[in-house]
Amino acid sequence: MTRSSLFTLLLVVAVAAAAVAGTIEGKVSTGKSVVYVDTIQGKTFPAPSQQPVMDQKGLMFNPHVMVIQVGTTVEFLNSDTVQHNVFWPSISGNKKLTHNLGTWPKGEKKAFKFDNPGVVSLLCNVHPEMAGYIIVSPTPYFAETDASGNYKIDNVPDGKYNVVAWHEGMKPQTKSVDVAGTGKADFTLSK
Amino acid sequence: MIRRSTRLTIYQSLLAFAVALTVLSASRSFAIPAFSRMYGTSCSTCHIDFPKLNDFGKAFKDAGFKFPKDDESMIKIPPVMLGAPANAELWPKAIWPGTIPGIPPIGLRMNNYFQYTGTSGGKFAALTPAGTLPPFVPTTDFETGYFSIFTAGNFGSDIAFWVDDDISVAGDNGNGGLGDGYLKFVNIGRLMKLPPHFLNLKVGQFELELPFTQARSIWISPYDIYSQANIGAMNSLIPLQQFVNNQFAFANVGKGIELSGGLHTGGYNYSIAVIDQNTSGAPQITNNPYVPTATGASFGGVGVASDANFKDIYASFNYRFNLERDKESRDAIQAAGPTGPRDHTYLNFGTYYFYGRSVQRLLGAAADGTAAVITAREPFYRVGGNMTFNYRCCLQFNALYMYGHDYNLLPVDASGSLIPLQNLSTAVPVGFIHSTPATFSGGFVDAEWLAYPWMYVMIRYDGVNSTSDRINGLATNPSFTGSPFNAPFSSTRNRVTPGVQFLIHANIKASFEYQFRPSQTVVIATNPLTGLPVALNPFHTNTAVVGLEWVY
Repeated sequence: MTRSSLFTLLLVVAVAAAAVAGTIEGKVSTGKSVVYVDTIQGKTFPAPSQQPVMDQKGLMFNPHVMVIQVGTTVEFLNSDTVQHNVFWPSISGNKKLTHNLGTWPKGEKKAFKFDNPGVVSLLCNVHPEMAGYIIVSPTPYFAETDASGNYKIDNVPDGKYNVVAWHEGMKPQTKSVDVAGTGKADFTLSK
Repeated sequence: MIRRSTRLTIYQSLLAFAVALTVLSASRSFAIPAFSRMYGTSCSTCHIDFPKLNDFGKAFKDAGFKFPKDDESMIKIPPVMLGAPANAELWPKAIWPGTIPGIPPIGLRMNNYFQYTGTSGGKFAALTPAGTLPPFVPTTDFETGYFSIFTAGNFGSDIAFWVDDDISVAGDNGNGGLGDGYLKFVNIGRLMKLPPHFLNLKVGQFELELPFTQARSIWISPYDIYSQANIGAMNSLIPLQQFVNNQFAFANVGKGIELSGGLHTGGYNYSIAVIDQNTSGAPQITNNPYVPTATGASFGGVGVASDANFKDIYASFNYRFNLERDKESRDAIQAAGPTGPRDHTYLNFGTYYFYGRSVQRLLGAAADGTAAVITAREPFYRVGGNMTFNYRCCLQFNALYMYGHDYNLLPVDASGSLIPLQNLSTAVPVGFIHSTPATFSGGFVDAEWLAYPWMYVMIRYDGVNSTSDRINGLATNPSFTGSPFNAPFSSTRNRVTPGVQFLIHANIKASFEYQFRPSQTVVIATNPLTGLPVALNPFHTNTAVVGLEWVY
């Protein structure tokens, strides 16, 4: 096969894939939230190579909420002159997944690969007021809402999915969504 | 006369006892929730168990109530700029730029107590004169402690401030008073190109830089040795006479200036303070219309605080050996382990010295027989040492020893004969002669174990061995109306106090202490064999105190 034939084939596949990819959109009642497509049976996704950074600056986790795909490695940076000790007591309530990253000085990073989906509540042993969240999505289909709660998840293949909405301090909510080009799901979260 | 004023009646003793209990049940202690607000951080950033500071809290305090590094980036409520630094560069003669806190840095503190007194506490009622109603000490009692307001922070330019005031004491409005109120100029040594932290200046009213602060102690009950005043008493049956009336105690605040340096988180630190002499041996003029006051009032002003011209001097020196094994942590403000930053393991040794002069003035006569005021200036000193061993976050041993020495001047009449102190009100003294000094010694040792981040288990031993206590306590003269309830049975006053504290929240804690008190007595007799006084039927007045304290 010539190089031009191969390029043409890839282009056709890409266009075909784009043709069946849709979006899920809607609104979450509580404002700034995270929405993601839950586990799709029989389907796995390659882990992204990008390593997002969870910073600790001014005695706060920054960003306060981060959403990643399962398998992602997150770098934890300490930008403060004081020391922090990052740990999480569980992932979505599973205490077996607790982990303590320990303590490290200013300017240095520690990396951790999240292989289990769920909600990771980040805490600091030294500064109990510090709290942050990493939402580990089992699929690459996720989004953060805007301040009004509006969201849009792109590139979702047509099909039927369970979509989960999460907001700090609220009970997560799952809804079934049919995607045929587009899908829509609004969420009203409560404590 | 002055001596008479030291002879407490039974009822005064009871009052003193009640006051002592109140003081005991509400030792002054402060945490600064204002900083929590300003930095958006928990009390536990600076406190292990408020008001006890951890290493970071000590560094924060040493820096002038600022984060030692990158303070600006930590503040959640930005300060109000009183002048941009560029102004000073452009107009060097302009007012130097500074800041004030973005919100009034005010904190409040409240505490309540429940007290249980051993049933033998009612035994002193036996001293009540016949025909009068005996007093009553309840076995159980709810008590209100302090309601205090305090404010602290810095104005930028390394100038820190602190003011605390008890708005209410024991539920009595306005019965409190100013605790500390000072300005601290941090690291003024830089103006003389001295090493960092070498020289700070504090001006105002403040607790001395004691080896173990009473203000930031986690104990409910104060350290006995810090409350020890050297007040002698007359007792005609005991040859040892003491004419000392020195009410100075280490727990008192001082008014004056203090130079200090070093860091409390490592290496050396020192303090040299010059403060007003006020031993209450002679009254001060507080409202004389002919005495100008510092505040300009001509009458009824604040008057003067000293009772003599002399200024007392205090000096302390400590050296902290850093025993931290982790190399990376050794030079950090706080050490770090797998569970996060913690205090270093360290050994601290220190020494301190206080020199002052107690003053008493008597109406007497000059050499020619004319009436005159004669003055007894009795120099005194307190000297001692202290030690602390701290193991990481969780275990600390402290010890302090103090020796107190008061020059003891006894009044003499025109013939040069000693005037029996009980006759001082009728005799005419013309001078004084040097007698056996009034001394005391003692201290405390304690162990504090942070069993859990929310629970402290503690035990402390306090001991005071005082010659004046002995004289006051073992009186056999029927007319002596001392305070046997508080007096020791033996010459050594001591107690053992186990305690436990629970942090309900970082700013709310419950405390419990049980104080095993020394033997006391209400029955004094004369030993027929020796002719010396002995105390019969000694009893213990043990006390349990439960406290709830919160700051916000």
